[in-house]
Amino acid sequence: MSIRIEEDRGLLSRLQRINWLMIGLITALASIGFACLYSAAGGSLSPWASRQMMRFAIGLGAMLFIAMMPTRFWFRMAWPCYAAGLVLLLIVEVMGHIGMGAQRWINLGFINLQPSEVMKIAVIMVLARYYHLTSRYHVSEWHSLITPAIIVFAPVCLVMFQPDLGTALMIIMGAAAMVFIAGAPFRWFAYATGAVIAIIPLAWHFMHDYQKKRVMTFLNPESDPLGAGYHIMQSKIALGSGGISGKGFLEGSQSRLNFLPEKQTDFIFTLWVEEWGLIGGLALLLLCGIIFIYGVWIALQCKNKFSRYLTLGLMINFSLYVFINTGMVMGLLPVVGVPLPLVSYGGTSMLSCMIAFGLIMSCEIDRSLKIKAI
Amino acid sequence: MIFYRMMRRNAAKLTGDRSAMLDLAHGRLVALSSFFAIIYMVLAVRAFDVSVVQAKFWNMEDAGAIVVAEAPEGKRRGSIYDRNGNMLATSLDMASLYADPYLIADPEKTARGLSDIFPSLNFGKTLRSLQSARRFVWIERNISPRQQEAVMQLGEPGLAFRYEEKRVYPAKNEMAHLVGMTNVDGRGLAGVERSFDRMLAKGQDVTLSLDMRLQHALHREVGKAIDDFNAMGGAGVIMDAHTGEVLAGVSLPDFNPHEPGLSEAAAHFNRLTLGVYELGSVFKIFSTAAFLETHDVPMSTTFDAREPIKVGRFTISDYHAEERILTVPEVFMVSSNIGSAMMGQAVGGQRLRQFYEDLGLLSAMNVEVAEVASPLVPDRWGEVATMTASYGHGIATTPLNVAAAVATVVNGGYLIEPTFVHAGEGGKARNNRNKISVISEETSYKMRELMRLVVTDGTGKNADVPGYRLGGKTGTAEKSGAGGYQRKKLISSFVGAFPINDPRYVVMVAVDEPKGNKKSYGYATAGWVAAPAVQRLVKTMANILGMAPDYDAPSYEHPLRQYVALEG
Repeated sequence: MSIRIEEDRGLLSRLQRINWLMIGLITALASIGFACLYSAAGGSLSPWASRQMMRFAIGLGAMLFIAMMPTRFWFRMAWPCYAAGLVLLLIVEVMGHIGMGAQRWINLGFINLQPSEVMKIAVIMVLARYYHLTSRYHVSEWHSLITPAIIVFAPVCLVMFQPDLGTALMIIMGAAAMVFIAGAPFRWFAYATGAVIAIIPLAWHFMHDYQKKRVMTFLNPESDPLGAGYHIMQSKIALGSGGISGKGFLEGSQSRLNFLPEKQTDFIFTLWVEEWGLIGGLALLLLCGIIFIYGVWIALQCKNKFSRYLTLGLMINFSLYVFINTGMVMGLLPVVGVPLPLVSYGGTSMLSCMIAFGLIMSCEIDRSLKIKAI
Repeated sequence: MIFYRMMRRNAAKLTGDRSAMLDLAHGRLVALSSFFAIIYMVLAVRAFDVSVVQAKFWNMEDAGAIVVAEAPEGKRRGSIYDRNGNMLATSLDMASLYADPYLIADPEKTARGLSDIFPSLNFGKTLRSLQSARRFVWIERNISPRQQEAVMQLGEPGLAFRYEEKRVYPAKNEMAHLVGMTNVDGRGLAGVERSFDRMLAKGQDVTLSLDMRLQHALHREVGKAIDDFNAMGGAGVIMDAHTGEVLAGVSLPDFNPHEPGLSEAAAHFNRLTLGVYELGSVFKIFSTAAFLETHDVPMSTTFDAREPIKVGRFTISDYHAEERILTVPEVFMVSSNIGSAMMGQAVGGQRLRQFYEDLGLLSAMNVEVAEVASPLVPDRWGEVATMTASYGHGIATTPLNVAAAVATVVNGGYLIEPTFVHAGEGGKARNNRNKISVISEETSYKMRELMRLVVTDGTGKNADVPGYRLGGKTGTAEKSGAGGYQRKKLISSFVGAFPINDPRYVVMVAVDEPKGNKKSYGYATAGWVAAPAVQRLVKTMANILGMAPDYDAPSYEHPLRQYVALEG
């Protein structure tokens, strides 16, 4: 068994093929974040906007670096990345025990790295590689699910222990989407859905009180408007007060008067809509949608399965972030700590997003490449 | 060969599968992408829902989330001023507290906090309203700034304020009956507030004829008379004798217009304009005037008051029985019921009735407060009614009716219709200037002499204020109750005018059910109860109005003394 690999492109050639449109879209989305953070600080670059811009710059560098590496390299790096992610997760698990509480990040000095964020990308890379190497015939056989199950549940268990239910569910959902795209039979998804419904009462039993409260609050936010329901009530008030055209930049009273919690991170969409109204909110969603559709289009251009699965998996991951975040602040989903990609303040989220886009660009540059397994 | 065919078959299968696989992969990809695109659209719809459709729902409690001071809408209710421009009633913006129970997290804690701040709030009731399913519940109207501060300290987003007008009455109780009051919605309920409601609601101010300073003096003196004689209540009025402007009007007990609910219903009753009383001997002013107007006779004309008069089953006797033949001044001075009844007889029932009617004593007054009563007048004006009406029994009017009629009698004889509005406002005072003559100048002059005599030598001695030439008449009436008149329940009144040679002010004090005290030797009659109150009042008025005393016309040289048999 040997792997025949086509010639990689040179650095100059890769630079010429960088997708500047995608960079433009990403920068536009990140700029919305800068504006929000500037407003959240009461019209000031510090403490959030300036640091976010710096991180975006660093992220851009990381993205370009990743894009310059050939897809073949990332194909080979899938498992090492996954292994590194698992180790990091184990480290925070141990440190978490020492730190007596939820510990989700490692302080790397310039950034507080959340291994679970890295893990999401690593899981997608490994799954893309796995389904690249798995023939179509085997995908519909049940034992082809064993490896992906292990790939997914090892990190999911570790993340659940942190405890970070939201991230764990996102890893599972992203993985499920990839299994679907790879061509697994429909009935499996029907079984899985049934199993999930059956498991809900059991899961409820094992959930932490704060998680139960969040779900209850989601079902009836008014039951506890000052406690668990406070976030979502305030968020809805802010969204409603924006109206169609919004209160205007720097005029969002709900956010600026600190009625809105976590306005610079998870609830940044609320701040944006309060100030820019429905028009601003739809523009943001449209921008995310365009990025997603464009990512899908890139995936369709790719001649090899790994690139296609990887690009698609990453874009699905991106969209899931958008869905869960905006759905949460608009009261469609329970409150889970999921940031709005590229917009929310936060280093790891920004970096993992930029890494993902770097991988997508690398895939696009090598879209005609065929990584063949013989 | 077989191998080759197998290869071909395999190849065919491979290529077919390959394209099928690609189709499947693309199909799945497109399906998933479409699914995600739909989710994006769902989010867009939800964004519309939250920021536009539900916005109406949330905007109502914008004030609940952020305490925003609302500017009061519409015109502010007009103010009420006294004749000197002192404010009697005005509107201030006051915060009223309401709750949106929907936003209240811990109703129990909130209700507890609120009942601590507002002692009038009942914890249970407040809790129930905070737990109700409504979106708007009044907690407390018109709260003080200090209470508002305390509510803000509760930090409860479900509590918010509406800014409303609150009516403020700087004179508080003193003007309560005449100025009146408004309900919480700012509509006039009583007094001038009610009668001028439309004007005030439009934001126009009203200037009344009242003088805050005189009102205070009158309020004090009537109050003192009530206290001194442990009376049930009282009324008083100061009127301009020429314009009919009421300068002060008092009814006691009174109430605090800021908290009308705290006083009993009786306190809201305006005795001055709504109370109808048999006022007794003060009516001798009118019957005597009627007699003098209709009979061109000298003051020396006599009346036989030696025996009580028997008319049918009634007997008319004198309280201060002189049991002798009395001249006109004597009848008036000693307040002889017998003499007055004879004068009434002489005038005749119909003419006396007409005379009373011309003075405005028999009909409800057309004044600018809503609380006006019609006098009680005998249905049949027969002989008995004529005689009793001559000394003020069997006929009941409001104190204000009497004061206005007295003004008519003393001012030269032209009709006075009382008014509560400043003459400059184009009120009734303008009508009064038309000078509708009711009695002759001559009769008016005679009446002034007679009234002065009462104060210098008669029942009203206790009202005299040297230098101010007060003239007047006392009246002590037994209140009628079940089973006839009650000797112990009196209404003691004094109505006068000064300076009597050219009257400017008519003053009247009436005290309801006074009880005699040590100082009055147990008497509760007008000379002991109302007359001293008027004396104190006139002294104060002179000071307030800056009237110089005039000792030139000595009180002891009364021209009518020649007709009076002096004793001891």
